[in-house]
Amino acid sequence: MDTTGAGALIKALEDVGCEVIFGMPGGAILPAYDPLFDSKIRHVLVRHEQGAGHAAQGYAQATGRVGVCMATSGPGATNLVTPLADAYMDSVPIVAITGQVARSVIGTDAFQEADIRSITLPITKHSFQVHDPADIPRVIAEAFLLASTGRPGPVLVDLPKDVLATATTYTPPKLATPSRPVLSPVQIRNAAQLIGSSKRPVFYIGGGVIRSGAAQELHKLAEKTGIPVVTTLMARGAFPDSHPLHLGMPGMHGTVPAVAALQRADLLIALGTRFDDRVTGLLPEFAPHAAVIHADIDPAEISKNRKADVGIVGDCRDVMAALSAVITRKTDLTDWWNYLGGLRATYPLGYDWPADGMLAPQYVIERLSRLAGPEAIYTAGVGQHQMWAAQYVKYERPGSFINSGGAGTMGFAVPAAMGAQAGAPDRTVWAIDGDGCFQMTNQELATCAAEGIPIKVAIINNGNLGMVRQWQTLFYEGRYSNTRLGTHQRHPDFVKLADALGCVGLRCDSQSEVDGTILEAMAVHDRPVVVDFVVGQDAQVWPMVAAGTGNDEVMAARGIRPLFDEEE
Amino acid sequence: MTRHSLSLLLRNEPGALARIVVLFSSRGVDVESLSLAPAERGDLSRLDVVVELQPGRTIVQLIKQLGRVVDVKSVVDRTHDEAIELGA
Ligand SMILES: Cc1ncc(C[n+]2csc(CCOP(=O)(O)OP(=O)(O)O)c2C)c(N)n1
Ligand SMILES: [Mg+2]
Repeated sequence: MDTTGAGALIKALEDVGCEVIFGMPGGAILPAYDPLFDSKIRHVLVRHEQGAGHAAQGYAQATGRVGVCMATSGPGATNLVTPLADAYMDSVPIVAITGQVARSVIGTDAFQEADIRSITLPITKHSFQVHDPADIPRVIAEAFLLASTGRPGPVLVDLPKDVLATATTYTPPKLATPSRPVLSPVQIRNAAQLIGSSKRPVFYIGGGVIRSGAAQELHKLAEKTGIPVVTTLMARGAFPDSHPLHLGMPGMHGTVPAVAALQRADLLIALGTRFDDRVTGLLPEFAPHAAVIHADIDPAEISKNRKADVGIVGDCRDVMAALSAVITRKTDLTDWWNYLGGLRATYPLGYDWPADGMLAPQYVIERLSRLAGPEAIYTAGVGQHQMWAAQYVKYERPGSFINSGGAGTMGFAVPAAMGAQAGAPDRTVWAIDGDGCFQMTNQELATCAAEGIPIKVAIINNGNLGMVRQWQTLFYEGRYSNTRLGTHQRHPDFVKLADALGCVGLRCDSQSEVDGTILEAMAVHDRPVVVDFVVGQDAQVWPMVAAGTGNDEVMAARGIRPLFDEEE
Repeated sequence: MTRHSLSLLLRNEPGALARIVVLFSSRGVDVESLSLAPAERGDLSRLDVVVELQPGRTIVQLIKQLGRVVDVKSVVDRTHDEAIELGA
């Protein structure tokens, strides 16, 4: 088929199954937008390329497919840097397509030239710059394969403008079948043996279990063994919160029983997780009595932070299926469960109502979870509201919580929700956002309004950069340097802002109105909705393991250290 | 700090060397010497590098991290070979 580089690009994207691109045109990428005009691929015109990148991430995590974003050269491409870094940290399969200046002027500081490949080297799984239009279909197919197989991650394809404009013949890309690592039967047997002889085992579940689509295998294996399960921030939803074997989230703001399970375990069965410092706390004091089985698709993760006694390179789904096949009997975990059950009863998640009579943010999120239910998709920004979204929304299925874990990117929630909604139009998508985060990326609500992407946003408006303020309260003697946003004084007025962006804007500041407001928001289907939940500024996220301390110092609330105190 | 000598085979793709060098700098690996030469196979290059690792970092970990770079064909730890050469 005779075409141009640009035509080949769009045809190749169609052939690899791309259904939506989030992007913005500009000089260098302009040739690609011409054939895109006639394509069956939907293009969502964002208001900022960062929004395109996070939308691709949201789409990928809601659908399990590769998300695609597109930008022009120079500033368009550099605006993708944050989402690429975010996708790299959280292993999200996205392909970023960037325009580049013409081959003849690369390296001359041409107008809108930025060496985006070099800029993104440490934050992409791989990248291409295409110099021959005939290579475009192969490169696109490879980019999709690389992004979605092995440990998923972002791949960049940089396309000089003249390559897009040059005539070429389209040869359909050969779609390679992805291969998966073959498991070592010896390691599986060793793992099964450790599991069989342990008295205090725990499944330490990470985001890899969601990426590999292994939630069912986990369910089966957990029920077969009766072993307690903890799910990290990136794994919320991998195991139902309603399940009696589930102790919740471990880590800096994890539940007391989940943190205790890791600290007191004699065996960690770590699956698709990377022993992040937000989970381990001070590493030398992490899970001091535990042997470690660590399974991951990325060999470089095994024994990176904590030495594994049994390391298994493999897809989590295969690993759990193999373990299920060799583990035949349930070990007696009565003592272990008695201990954990005691902690669960004594230290449930809980919160106080603000002394000043304002709304408790946790209550808002709890009600949202109840009314929107487990079939909805929830995204979050970064801060206190994110932690409350992880703690107080009850997740029952994988892919229902999409947030920025490794990078902690403020402003993630709205564009990620946009992408998730584009990929899952039949689901309700709620962005649980902070008043600070929202101001970083709310421009994408104009995109949502214009494109008919009716997301819902719950702004947890505490008037502050709340998470930073919490640290100032705890560690800087209440010296609140530069954390007040003025959002309680309506700078800006979120209801008016929502209205200006083409959304429905609602406000709620009292307990009695919370349910009614959520239901009102849920009744809107033709437009995005923004609810300004005005909440108290002094609510804090608990439990907490203070940065730089060991997990044994987990505080259920300020000054209450259940594990530390039980030592003696 | 521990000293290691590695030998890599890289695909002759643009950016392959840059990706390795960036990996060293972002992972805090000190490069003592580095040389790149065509390998016997025309589409590959051989990169010999001597690195120093920070305390607590292992060469096995670095080799695995290098191994996941798409354009790296192979990584061999030659620390031992060199010790023998020097000793001879
Ligand atoms: C892009 C970016 N800048 C700065 C930070 C540091 N930071 C982490 S949480 C936070 C406060 C977020 O405020 P808000 O969105 O209001 O959420 P809250 O904690 O109040 O719920 C800040 C500034 C970050 N994570 N990301
Ligand atoms: Mg806030």
